[in-house]
Amino acid sequence: MSDAAAPDANALAVELGSADLAVRAAAAERLARMAEAAAPAAAALVSACGDADEQVREQAVAALEDLGQPPAEAISQLIHLVAHGDPLVAYWATTLLGRAGEDAADAVPALAECLASPADLSVRQRAAWALGKIGAAAASARAVVERAASDADPRLARLATEALAAISG
Amino acid sequence: MAAAHPRTPSPRLAARRRWIAAALAFGVIGVARAGDLVPIRIPGAVPASVADMPPLVPIVRTPPLPIVATPPAPVTIRTIPVAPVAVQRPILALPLPPLPAPAPPIAPPLPIAVAPQVAPQVAPPAPQVAVAPPVAPPPVAPPVVPPAAPLPPAAAPAPPPSGKPTDAVLIASFNIQVFGEAKLAKPQVVDVLTRVVRRFDVVAVQEVRAKSDSVVPTFVNAINADGSRYQYVVGPRLGRTVSKEQYTFIYDSTRIEIDPSSVATLPNPGDKLHRPPLRARFRVRTNPPEAGFSFWLVDIHTDPDEVPQEVDALADAFVSMRSVIPDEDDVILLGDLNAGPPQFGRIKQIPGIGWAVSGTTTNTRRSKTYDNLIFDRTATTEYTGRWGVLDLQETFGLPLDKALEISDHNPVWAAFSPWETQRIAGR
Repeated sequence: MSDAAAPDANALAVELGSADLAVRAAAAERLARMAEAAAPAAAALVSACGDADEQVREQAVAALEDLGQPPAEAISQLIHLVAHGDPLVAYWATTLLGRAGEDAADAVPALAECLASPADLSVRQRAAWALGKIGAAAASARAVVERAASDADPRLARLATEALAAISG
Repeated sequence: MAAAHPRTPSPRLAARRRWIAAALAFGVIGVARAGDLVPIRIPGAVPASVADMPPLVPIVRTPPLPIVATPPAPVTIRTIPVAPVAVQRPILALPLPPLPAPAPPIAPPLPIAVAPQVAPQVAPPAPQVAVAPPVAPPPVAPPVVPPAAPLPPAAAPAPPPSGKPTDAVLIASFNIQVFGEAKLAKPQVVDVLTRVVRRFDVVAVQEVRAKSDSVVPTFVNAINADGSRYQYVVGPRLGRTVSKEQYTFIYDSTRIEIDPSSVATLPNPGDKLHRPPLRARFRVRTNPPEAGFSFWLVDIHTDPDEVPQEVDALADAFVSMRSVIPDEDDVILLGDLNAGPPQFGRIKQIPGIGWAVSGTTTNTRRSKTYDNLIFDRTATTEYTGRWGVLDLQETFGLPLDKALEISDHNPVWAAFSPWETQRIAGR
């Protein structure tokens, strides 16, 4: 993928929703080579983590690892995906919201609800991490985060403790 | 490395120099000028072939126990159960050539290798050790004796290796992005990948992502299609989600041997590492075999969203590798750290620590420095100071989009002497 092809991210995002597996796989693979230039396709890539095909999922994950912060216009879609039934989709939605930092302040209620829910542990851990990245703007989630800080899972407890420190500034 | 030593030698360095002098006097080792092809031999200790090389033998603290060397089984592919790290078992020690009597005990005595009884807090899954079919004993080419003094670190990367040198072994790290069946299905990609691996003696690979177990063996078969004799070990699938990755070490079995029982996933105290490293112990095939450079490789791919925490956890892992395994002072942490030296955190606080790659980029887009080889320069004096980044675009004449089909990372590498220097006792 040359840099000149970076503007294709929006078109590739549409192709990720194709009924044709070959089209979806090719789009995911191309996005995985675009690094930060794939950011416009952030929400579509998160949805693609729930694709029935393994290659599409793995390429979508690879793209998400490298695309950095999601664009502001993707935040509302990502908030919706935090409660997705597929843990991999929810995990990456949560991760991108955390990367957005205080720009994802609107996601605090969804992230707090996820953290307090019996969701997949990896998603709850990422929710605690994301609230910490949002920082002071996540103050409304303090009580939920405090409960998570005493969770039996040591990683969740540690991330929640770190989030509390970040929320407190 | 000259830069790593003061002008007034430390007691340890002075002891090492006295040991070398005594060894020279008694013919245990020899010296040559750089570039000379001089095999070092010990009378009566030269194996006729690789088959005669002594196996890696476990040594236990006195009272001595019977040492049983298990003959290698002629397997095609076999799975060897591997115990977690730091279990209560003897660890391996590679004996140095004995000093002939009445040599005075100049050098500090080598420690008897006994692993401290430290249980991991989190029992990692045991890696699958897939050993490729045994190869016929290759001819052993004695490597060139290295210069007497370590070379200073290179200020600039060396050009990419076109062939393996006789005076060094090349250790590389390569993140092969989403290395699975789809990538293997592209002949032009496999062609480049195999040509990359054949340039090195050991390659630590990250990002094997496949539900099938056939990806790595199929790839190694492709590497060996030209008559090469690479073998591999592959770790377990790791990750907190259903999207998991494996590490693998691929090595040239004509120049490098592995201790299969050493292969394990490191403990992950506090679950700080998304994909805890895979470790394995290697030794360069030399004549005599005891003189070969032996070293741990610790393969890592950090989580890009938790780099500071993971880098600090790797600092702990590095230190523990040295203290838990006192008979081996050469630990090389290598992989995709998603961080450059400025982000190395507590790794930079480890005394003597150094890294090969600096001042350049390692990703295919030439914008980030993510990949490196990290080791204690005061212990791993086998480092020659030569390192490099194998730029996929430049090396194979590929445009960026084609190079990105191979991977979003370039391989990074460093060159080490094939000869083991004096081990530092008690590290």
